[in-house]
Amino acid sequence: MKLFITMAILVTSIFAGKYGKVKITEKISHVLVFHKGKSINIHRIQDVKNHLTGAYAKISQPCPGRCIQPIDMKNGVETVGEVEVISFIKNKVNDHKGALIDARPQSMYNKETIPSAINIPFMLGDNKEAMSDILEVLGMEKMPKGKWNNSKALEIMVYCNGPWCQKSSKLINSLVKMGYPANKIYYYRGGFQMWKSLGLTTVKTK
Amino acid sequence: MKIKLLVVISFILSSVAFAKNNITEDKSSVNIEVNGKKYTIERIQGNDVYLTNEFSLTSRPSPPFFIQPFKVTKDVETYGELEVIEFLEKGKGVFIDARLESWYKNSYIAGAVNIPFKKFLKDTKERDKILKGFGAVKKGKKWDFTKAKTILFYCNGSWCVQSPTAIHALKDIGYPQKKMKYYRGGIQSWQLVGLTVINPKEEKKR
Repeated sequence: MKLFITMAILVTSIFAGKYGKVKITEKISHVLVFHKGKSINIHRIQDVKNHLTGAYAKISQPCPGRCIQPIDMKNGVETVGEVEVISFIKNKVNDHKGALIDARPQSMYNKETIPSAINIPFMLGDNKEAMSDILEVLGMEKMPKGKWNNSKALEIMVYCNGPWCQKSSKLINSLVKMGYPANKIYYYRGGFQMWKSLGLTTVKTK
Repeated sequence: MKIKLLVVISFILSSVAFAKNNITEDKSSVNIEVNGKKYTIERIQGNDVYLTNEFSLTSRPSPPFFIQPFKVTKDVETYGELEVIEFLEKGKGVFIDARLESWYKNSYIAGAVNIPFKKFLKDTKERDKILKGFGAVKKGKKWDFTKAKTILFYCNGSWCVQSPTAIHALKDIGYPQKKMKYYRGGIQSWQLVGLTVINPKEEKKR
């Protein structure tokens, strides 16, 4: 155990130097998280000349469809940014007290996502059976007559493609409609685009 | 019959050709007037436009650049793009670009006036003049902000501390937090969602 702690401290201090040029916040240069059972460090790309490229650097988005979303869902769900997402992963997801949810379709999630995120595609919001299973996974307790006890519901943070993506709010609305407590839901509006625009670590599965 | 078909075809063609990149579903552009100058705010049109300028850089060195928390203080509201646009459209107050002048000369968001954050930090005659411009009244050494305008700040992006610094400085001298707003995404997020910026150098050439 002692050895493990010493190792952990050693590893931490090595990484602190490694990710110290471009830090997340003044105090945090990296956060160790778990993605599908594997440990991975969230940090920022250290190359100060790195540019955002690819699909998430695209700025022409058709609307209707990809319309800019309001900052506040006005339903009691709090909007957060990257600092809050990272602290949520560190303090809640790592401790199994919270879940980070990628609301995009599975194909997108499989391609690239935020470390530690699970995938609940927003389309499932219309599927009552699927939603019922999802609610149970998220700690909601099934009660008679189709009611739910939400006292043990996990805190969840939901994101999708970017500030112009409606998938998060669609999924959040479905969850709230089914009785998920709004004060346990957070909306990461900046989404995958803003995450990548800050050079934060992603996981690519394929 | 032939005419009908033609009408249908041309209708389809036109809807393809004019596939719009609106701001919201029912809003394609917004016209505003600030200090006698007219601006049109809209999203970039086309299908494949990518951000390639310096705002596509992901990794700014820290210090001084760290990712900023979602909120500056508990009572200063954080705005997104739609809230900024509404603020300008309805003339709710003063929209301030808190960056150094050199940045502003390069590009800025329509409707913004440049008051570099440094001008808010020290008790100077220049600051007095700025505050009076906002409608604050100096009584002895103290300020009365009863009639002061609402002010909305932005700077380079969610990794920029200039607007939060200005907000903190004004809070310290008593500017009501409810009268200050923070557009955290800044000119970087503005461009990442495809909203157009003003380029003064190009304007001069015209």
